[in-house]
Order: sequence, then structure tokens, then C-alpha cells
Amino acid sequence: MAAGVAAWLPFARAAAIGWMPVASAPMPTPPPDNRRKQDGLILLNVSGQKFQTWRNTLERYPDTLLGSTEREFFFHEETNEYFFDRDPDIFRHILNFYRTGKLHYPRQECISAYDEELAFFGIIPEIIGDCCYEEYKDRRRENQERIQDDEDSENQNDMVPPDMTFRETMWRAFENPHTSTMALVFYYVTGFFIAVSVMANVVETVPCGTLQNRVKQVSCGERYALAFFCLDTACVMIFTVEYLLRLMAAPSRWNFIKSVMSVIDVVAIMPYYIGLVMTDNEDVSGAFVTLRVFRVFRIFKFSRHSAGLRILGYTLKSCASELGFLLFSLTMAIIIFATVMFYAEKGSSASKFTSIPAAFWYTIVTMTTLGYGDMVPKTIVGKIVGSVCSLSGVLVIALPVPVIVSNFSRIYHQSQRADKRRAQKKTKLGRIAARKSGGTSAYLQYKSNGLLSDLIDEASKAAGQALVCKANPMFDTHHNHLLHCLEKTTNHEFVDEQTFETSLLEVSMAKHPPHSPSLSSGSSSQGLSCCSRRNKRKSFNVPNSNMTGGHRNSIQELSTIHIRERPITNSRSSLNAKFEETVPLNCKQPYITAAVITLPTPPVTTPENDGSASSPDYSQANIVRVSAL
Amino acid sequence: MLNVLWETEGLQAVGIVVLVCASLKLLHLLGLINFSEDSVEDELELSAVRHRPEGLEQLEALTRFNRKELQILYRGFKNECPSGVVNEDTFKVIYSQFFPQGDASMYAHFLFNAFDTDKDGSVSFEDFVMGLSILLRGSVQEKLNWAFNLYDINKDGYITKEEMLDIMKAIYDMMGKCTYPLLKDDTPRQHVEIFFQKMDKNKDGVVTIDEFIDCCQNDENIMRSMQLFENVI
Repeated sequence: MAAGVAAWLPFARAAAIGWMPVASAPMPTPPPDNRRKQDGLILLNVSGQKFQTWRNTLERYPDTLLGSTEREFFFHEETNEYFFDRDPDIFRHILNFYRTGKLHYPRQECISAYDEELAFFGIIPEIIGDCCYEEYKDRRRENQERIQDDEDSENQNDMVPPDMTFRETMWRAFENPHTSTMALVFYYVTGFFIAVSVMANVVETVPCGTLQNRVKQVSCGERYALAFFCLDTACVMIFTVEYLLRLMAAPSRWNFIKSVMSVIDVVAIMPYYIGLVMTDNEDVSGAFVTLRVFRVFRIFKFSRHSAGLRILGYTLKSCASELGFLLFSLTMAIIIFATVMFYAEKGSSASKFTSIPAAFWYTIVTMTTLGYGDMVPKTIVGKIVGSVCSLSGVLVIALPVPVIVSNFSRIYHQSQRADKRRAQKKTKLGRIAARKSGGTSAYLQYKSNGLLSDLIDEASKAAGQALVCKANPMFDTHHNHLLHCLEKTTNHEFVDEQTFETSLLEVSMAKHPPHSPSLSSGSSSQGLSCCSRRNKRKSFNVPNSNMTGGHRNSIQELSTIHIRERPITNSRSSLNAKFEETVPLNCKQPYITAAVITLPTPPVTTPENDGSASSPDYSQANIVRVSAL
Repeated sequence: MLNVLWETEGLQAVGIVVLVCASLKLLHLLGLINFSEDSVEDELELSAVRHRPEGLEQLEALTRFNRKELQILYRGFKNECPSGVVNEDTFKVIYSQFFPQGDASMYAHFLFNAFDTDKDGSVSFEDFVMGLSILLRGSVQEKLNWAFNLYDINKDGYITKEEMLDIMKAIYDMMGKCTYPLLKDDTPRQHVEIFFQKMDKNKDGVVTIDEFIDCCQNDENIMRSMQLFENVI
């Protein structure tokens, strides 16, 4: 019910007196009216901007923040007002919702900021009024697409899972030629051969002078038949090999076969094989000649190489309804005008308009303003109809075209924007990382200033703050103290990255566990790569500054934690076997070797046994696995 | 041969006539020529019949509400009807929102007529507040008077069976279809019969105001229910 209508409830109740005399049963007692308190004004202070409204206005929607007792959490006694540290511009719209019952979306606001404010105040976005709902949904969809794009591109570009099979590497190379040099070479070679093949098809038909015995011109294809045949064979072989490789590498073969590009590939190389198989039968060779037409489809293979072509194809697909409408309206107009022309020209002698279908050609030529002139009307009526036809033709064709153009423009700009965003993101991240690296080793610097001993903690805190003077010294001090506590808990220390790398190399060279050669050989490089990758994983809540410094030790910390929790998980049957072989080693050498060895036990089985409660447990197990590899 | 000539001529003539008519129609459509003189633009709706109510003091004198109550009432009224008056359609829409299961439009129509005391087709704030004053702060006599006025559709001083049947049907319509026990078609009629048996003392087929008030005052239930909505504001 709209908010304003709620104000009419007293009226509706009063009007119920009209039912009383005809009531067949006694009335129920009314509910106790305990909102006897006066309807007072409420002062809402949003980041300094003051809003006032009646208490009743806010309480119209008791399931939102402002309408329920939740607002009491924001009551500020000293000034006797409700203080919210949020955006006052957006709050204006939220308050208007309470007043008028309609939520509007301001066009100039950022959609995510608006969504956040709505979520904070407990208002569901679905109640946005019809006037603004479409705009809101469009913007939201755009934002989602952008986020999706970013995620996709991130997954594609950043993720280099080290355990990709050869097949997956190949597929990746096919899809993104920029990933490796081989892929790039392959990409350009296929592009070159597509071009060569298409050019050959074209040049084949050019007249090439006469042979000795004939008068007629022969085409180059007939004159140099062997050369063209060899060229064609080479191209088709390359295409076939490429197609087979793609087929082999595709993660889902059935989907790949169904895709458009694969169909084009097949259609491009089929005529050659059919030609090989077919004999020189007279009847069939006619059909065979027709098949050679399909060789021109090789040119569509370029769409893998050109983003513009893909965009064009995508646009046409997305404008299918407009194109359909264009076609339909044109057909209607053609039929109408052809009929009228036919009957108009029926009287004139030697008229070319012998039937209505014959008049179709005239109508099409006229409507598209071609005007070949092979069919012209001779009667006056015919000429009038012809002029009307050409005028309306221009209109009918011009109408759907802007829609298609705008679609194309939108998609093109979207793809441009995606590319631009990716480029900008790289530089943006680079700049942010550069600024952050100044502060990453804050804790280590704090330590190296020799300020960690408990005895001089108080005295040094002041000195430490002077040394490490940041904008938020209190926060940093507490943070550093926290990290110190963690070190003391685990009896290990944080170190910086160089120290970690050197120790890693030492360990990998010193110890070669015989039953896992692959681990050690790749451990150094892979360890580093995984560590750096771990930094980028968003699911981690540990701050970056920690991890760069404390990799080596944090792994051991985690492995020790892992060890300590083992007794709890011992009861799970599948882990028992792994337990025995790992526990003794872990206890003796709490360093890298432990981490290396625990790994043959893939904790993948743990998800089946662990409930959700133990997820932190096995996520730590996951961490161990990842880091040691 | 003449036939052929006439046929072609005839075809041509038909074609020309059709073309001329079509082009005239097209021009008319495009707004270049006007056939009739009533091509005035769409009349804009009578915008914003502005109505300002009487001053607060007059209303205080006319009704039994105090200043604060009048302020609250006016704010709610103006919020829903910024132009200051309610016409019947808006009234029906507002009232129907309270009874979503059934069709409250008929009863709202009768209610509107009961509130619209000066019969000008719209309920202004004064009408609204005076009606409410009677309903919420009036004496039992006044309330019964108001109810009689509601039932007496043609305001002739008598409630006939047909009028009562209309009212009863309107009330039952508000219930909608999904009731327990199921509404039968003659339930309103039966209810009217019961009502007339109770109210119509001299059995002349109509209920006058005196019969009505007498009967209601003797009925405990009705008297009690009249006091029900005293503290709505």
C-alpha cells in the first residue's frame, strides 16, 4: 500500500460506521491504540546536512533502517539527533521515498554508490518507481557486464595454472595468440594462408591470354592448372591440420563442432576433398563446380583474426529483429507496388510488366533507388505509382538502418571500452603497487629499528611513531603489535622476500627427497610463482604487506598449525593412512621439508568428509598444498 | 473492341480515383490540410482544480477537531490529493486499496455521495473533515443520521428495499469471492429481509429516519459498535 494511502486509514475506519446498523454480528474490539505519543519531528543529520521529517513518515516502512528501532543505534545524545555518516545527496532520494512512497533513481549518481546506500538503509531496489526503473536496470546490467568482463579477462590473463595439460595449453594458445610466441607464429601463418587461398581462388578466374590452338580466352586456372592445384592442396592441408588440432585441443568437442567457426572451417575445406573423391562424371561435375563456390567461405576464417568482423557478425545477430522487420516491410511494399504497377501497365502495349512477379524486379530496383532502366512504366498512372514507389522505398529502408547502426556503435564502443579498461587497469594497478610497496615493509622496518623488545615498548612506541610517521600512526602501532603477537604465538618470525628466496634455494638444493623429484626441481620457481599468485588472490584476507615479507615462515606457521590440528581430524577415516607417514616427519623438522612431504596426500578428499565447520581447517590444508608446490 | 477499351479506361479511372483519395487521406494524416474545423488539439485535462480550504479557525469552529488534529488530517489529505479535492475516481482508488480482495468501488461510490454534501462531484477538505467530525466526534444521534443518509441513496427520506439491496450488495462485493462460508447469490437479499424485519415497524416497505433511529437505539450491539472508532485520530 502506498505510504500516502496509509494516512487515509483513519478515514476508512471511520467510514466503517456505515456498516454498523446492518451488521449481523457484534463487532470485535478495536486494537489498543498505544501510539498516543505526539507525532514529533525527527532530526536526521547526514554528514552535516540536516534533514527533518515527521516521525510518522519514517515509520511508514517499519522494515527499513529508518523506520525501525535500528535507527536508535545512530542516535547522538549530545546533539539530540540521528547522525549518519553517509552521502547526503543520495540520502535525499531515500528520504523522498519515505515521504512520497516512490523511490527514484538519479541519473547522475553512480550505480554502485546508490546500491550501497540502498543496502545500508535497508531498502530493496525493486520498489524503484516505473519512471526510473528502466534506467536503473540498464545501468545495473552495464555494471554487471563490466564486472563480468573484468573477471573474465582477469581469469584469462593472470591465471597461469601451472598444472595445465598440454591440451589445455594448446587450446589457450589457439584462443589467445598473444600468450606465447608459437601461438603468434601459428596465428600469422594461418592468416597468411587464408589470404593466399582466397587470392588464388580469385586469380584463377582471370582470363590469361589464349592457348595456341584456341581462339577463346582461357582463364589462368585452366592454364596453370597444376600450379593452382598444388597451391590449393597446400592451403587445404594447413587448414585441415589446424582444424584437427583445434578439435583435439577443444575442452568440449561437441560444443566446438557446433560452433560457427568450426562449421566455416569444415565448409571451407570440404570442396577439395569432395573434388578428390569424385570421378570425372559428367552429371556430377556440374554439382562439383557449384561446390567450388564454397571455397569463398575461407574468407570468413579471417574473423578469428579480426575483432571488427566479429563485432559485425555479433551486431547482425543482435539486430536480428530489426533486420527481420526491414525484410518484412520491404516484402509487403514490394508486393503492393508490384501489383499496382502490373495493373496500371496492363493496358499499355508491349509492356515489360508481363506478370506480377515480373514487376517485383522493377519494384525492388526502384525502391532501392537503383533504377537500372530495363523496365520503365509507360502509362501516366504507372509513372505516378512508380514515383510513389521510389519515395516510399527510401523511407522504408532508411527506418531500420539507424537502429542497426546504433546497435553496432554500442557494441563496438563496448569492446573498445573493454580493451581500454584492461589497458588502464594494468597501469592503474602498477601505480598503486608502486605506492604500496613503500608501505609494505612497514612492519619489518619497525622491527629492524630494534623496537620490538617488550621492555622498551612503551618508550619506543612514541619514538617508533616518530620514525614511522604515517597518516594513521595509532592504527599502525596496533597493527604492528598484532603481528608481533602472532610471531610470538608461533615462535617464528616474519622476514622479507629476499631472505625467503635465498633460504628456499638453499633448501631445495640441499635436500632432494627421492620420492618427489618433480617437486624439488620445480620448487624454487614454482614456489615463487605461487607465492606471487597467492598475493593476487582476493579470497585472502591477510594483508599484502604480511605475505611478501613472511612467506617462508608463514608456510611453516601454517604447517605447524596444520600439525597441531591433526589430532582433531585423525578421526576421519580417509586421512588416517596419510597421517602416519606425515606426522613423524612433521614433528622433527619444522621447516620446508615438512611442507614438501605432506603433499602426496591430496586433501581433495577432505571436502567429502569435512563439514562446513571444518572448512577453515582444510582450507589451511589447501594453503599448505599450494605453497609447497 | 470497345469493351477492351472501356476496360482499360475503367481500370485507369478507378486507379486515379483511388490514388487521389489515398493522397488526400495521407495529407490529412500528415496534418497539412484539415477537413473539419474541430481539429483542435487534445484538450488538456482541466489541470489542477486548485482548492484551498477554509482557514484553520473556521474549520475548528465547524468541526469538533482541535488544531493539531486538523493539521494531521490535512497533511494526509493533501499528500494524496495535491489539488485539494478528491474526485470520485481517486476516491474509489484510495478506498479500494484497503480492500484488495473484493471490489470496493460500489461502496466507495455510495460513500462518496455521503461525503459530498454539496453535491458538486468532488470532496473538498471541508466536506472530508466535516464528515469525519460527525463520524468520530459526533453524538450517537448524529452518527445514526449519517448512516441513514448513506443508505438513502436518492436522499428522499426513505430507505426502500431496493436501495438497501444496492448497499448490501456493495458491502458484500467488498468481501470478494473467497469467503467462508461461500457467498450465495441471495445472501444480500436475505440480509436485507432481516434488516427490514428489524427496522420496519409499520411494515410499509420503507424505513424512515425515525424508525431507523428508534430501532438502533434499542439495539445494544449497534449502540456499542457506534462507539468503536472514537479514538481513531
